[in-house]
Amino acid sequence: MKAIDAIENYRKFIKAIGILLEPGDISVGTTPSEVVYTEDDMKLIHYIPVVEKPNPVPVLILYAFVNRYYILDLQPDKSVVKKLLDEGFDIYIIDWGYPSGADRYLTLDDYVNGYINNAVNKIRELSGMDKITLFGVCQGGTLSTMYASLYPEKVKNLITLVTPINFDTDKGLLHVWAKNLDVDKVVDNYGIVPGDFLNAGFLLTDPFRLMIDKYVGLFSRIECEPDDKECRLRNEETVKTFLRMEKWIFDSPDQAGEAFRQFIKDCYQKNLLIKNKLKLDGKEINLKNITMPLLNVMAETDHLVPNDASLPLNDAVSSEDKETMVFPTGHIGIFVGSKSQNVVVPSIAQWLKPRSYPEEPKPVPEESPKAYTEEPRPAIEEQEAHPEEPKSYPKRSRSYPEKRKSRKTRGKMVET
Amino acid sequence: MDKASFESTHEFFDLWLKTYEATYGRVIEIPPMGPSREKTEKVIRGFSTSVSLYAKWMESLINFQNVFIEAMRRMRENMASRIEGEPSARSYEDFYEVWIETYSETFKEFLKSGHFASDMGTFMSQLMDFQKNNREVLEENYLKPSGLPTRTEIDEINKEVYLLKKTVRELKSRMKELSGGR
Repeated sequence: MKAIDAIENYRKFIKAIGILLEPGDISVGTTPSEVVYTEDDMKLIHYIPVVEKPNPVPVLILYAFVNRYYILDLQPDKSVVKKLLDEGFDIYIIDWGYPSGADRYLTLDDYVNGYINNAVNKIRELSGMDKITLFGVCQGGTLSTMYASLYPEKVKNLITLVTPINFDTDKGLLHVWAKNLDVDKVVDNYGIVPGDFLNAGFLLTDPFRLMIDKYVGLFSRIECEPDDKECRLRNEETVKTFLRMEKWIFDSPDQAGEAFRQFIKDCYQKNLLIKNKLKLDGKEINLKNITMPLLNVMAETDHLVPNDASLPLNDAVSSEDKETMVFPTGHIGIFVGSKSQNVVVPSIAQWLKPRSYPEEPKPVPEESPKAYTEEPRPAIEEQEAHPEEPKSYPKRSRSYPEKRKSRKTRGKMVET
Repeated sequence: MDKASFESTHEFFDLWLKTYEATYGRVIEIPPMGPSREKTEKVIRGFSTSVSLYAKWMESLINFQNVFIEAMRRMRENMASRIEGEPSARSYEDFYEVWIETYSETFKEFLKSGHFASDMGTFMSQLMDFQKNNREVLEENYLKPSGLPTRTEIDEINKEVYLLKKTVRELKSRMKELSGGR
C-alpha cells in the first residue's frame, strides 16, 4: 500500500463528508395517494391511478410487519407502486403503522380475519368489484396466502413475492435461528417485540457486509472533481438513495407480541402452514382452497427467504393457472434494484394484465410444449434494458388446465 | 475452527465460575427468611440469573474471539498467496476487498453453524430471564411502593381494551350482516 493511496482515500472521505452534509430532501413514499380506511394503527392507502381507465380488478399490496411498506415506493425511479400504476393498475396498500403496547395481544387471526378482511371489503366496496388481486410481499405474502385460503371467493389472483411458505429449510439463517428461539420468553418479557431486536437479527446475517462494507461502498462511489457538475448531481442522487434505504432499514416498527409468537411457533418452528395445519380462530388453513391464478415470484440470491421456502407453494395449492418466476437478484434488490424496475415489475404486470378483468381470464397465448424444454422466454423489457444479462431470466414455469402439469426450476424440468 | 487460541481465556473464566459457584454462589442459595422474604427471594434470583447470563455471554464472546482469530489466520493466508503470485494487493482498495471478503465469509460460516444457533438461543433465553426478573424487582421494590403503575398492570388494562375492541368489532360485523351489508 502506498502513502499516496492513503492520501487519495482521505481526500475521497472528506469529499463524501461534504456531500453528506447537504443531502437535501430524502422523503420516501412520494407517489400521490389518499388514506381511504383506517382501523387502529392500520391504514389502507389508495394510490391515485395515472391512467384514465385502470384495469378493473384492484390490487391490494400487503407488506410484512417488519419494516415499512414504503420500500415499494422508495423514490420515483425505484417504485414498484409507481411502475404498477404506469402499467394501468389500481393500487391499494396496507400500512400497518407502529404497534404500541396496546397492540401486544393482537393475533394473526386479528390481522388476517380482521384488518386484512376489512381492508379487502373496503376495496370491494370502493371499486365495485367482487374480487381483488392480492399481492403479498415477504411476510405479507404469507398473510396473503392465509387470507386467500380462507376467503377464495374474494381473491381473483394471488401474487406472492419473496414469500416464505415452507419454513422447514436450513438455507436461510433466519430459519435456522428461529428454531432455537424461545419465543415464549421473548414475548412474555417484551410484550411488544422491539423492532431493534429483529433488526439486530437481520444485521447479524452478514455483519461485515451490512455494518461495514455498505458504508465503505458509499464513500468509494463518491468521487468527482469540484467543477464536474454532472458528476456532483449523480453523487447527490447516490447519497439520497442510500439515505432513503438507511431510513427504511432502521425504520423498524415493533411487533405485536401474540402475532409474533404464533408466526414463529406455527410457521418457523412447526411449519404448520404448508402442512395445512395452521389454525386462525380455530379454523384450519387449507392451502388446497386456493384455486385462483397464482404467481409465485422469487429472488435467486435471497438470503432471508430462500427459494426452498417459497417454491413449495405451487404444489400445495389447487390452482391450475400457476406460474413461478425467479429473478437473479436478492431479497431487497427485487423491490429497489434496477432489475426490479426493468424486469421484475414489467414481468408481473405482463402476467397480471390479462387476469385483471372480472370475467373469465382472457386466454393467454398458447405456448408450444417445446417452450418448457428450451430456455424460458425473457421479458421484452429485460432484453431491451439489460442486453448483457443472461437471457434465461425471469426463469419461469407455467401450468395451465389444458397442459400437462409441470414445474420448471432453474432451467431443469421436473414432472409433478 | 481452531479454538486453541483463546483456550486460556476460557480456562480463566471456567476457574472464576467454579470458584464463584463454590463460594458466593452457595451463600446466595440459602433460603431467605423473615418479613422481606418474598422481595429478597426475587433479588437473590436476580443474582443467579445475572451470573447465568454472564457465563453465557462470556462463552459467546470466546466463540466470537475464536472466529476473529480464524478470520485473521485466513486473511494472512490469502494475503500471502496473493503476494506470492501477482503483487496485486498494493492499494488500499485491494487490501480492503480481501479483508472484507475473508472476514464476511468466515463469520457467515460460523453464524450458519448449528452450534451458533443453539448458543444464541440459550443466550437470548437467559437474557429474557434476566430482564424479566429485573423488571419484577423494579415493580415490586420501587414502582408499587411509589404508587406508580407497573408494566404488569398496564398489560392487564391493554388486554381488557383488546378484548373489548374485539367484541365491538364482532358486534358491528354481525349488525352489518343483519342489515344486509357486504
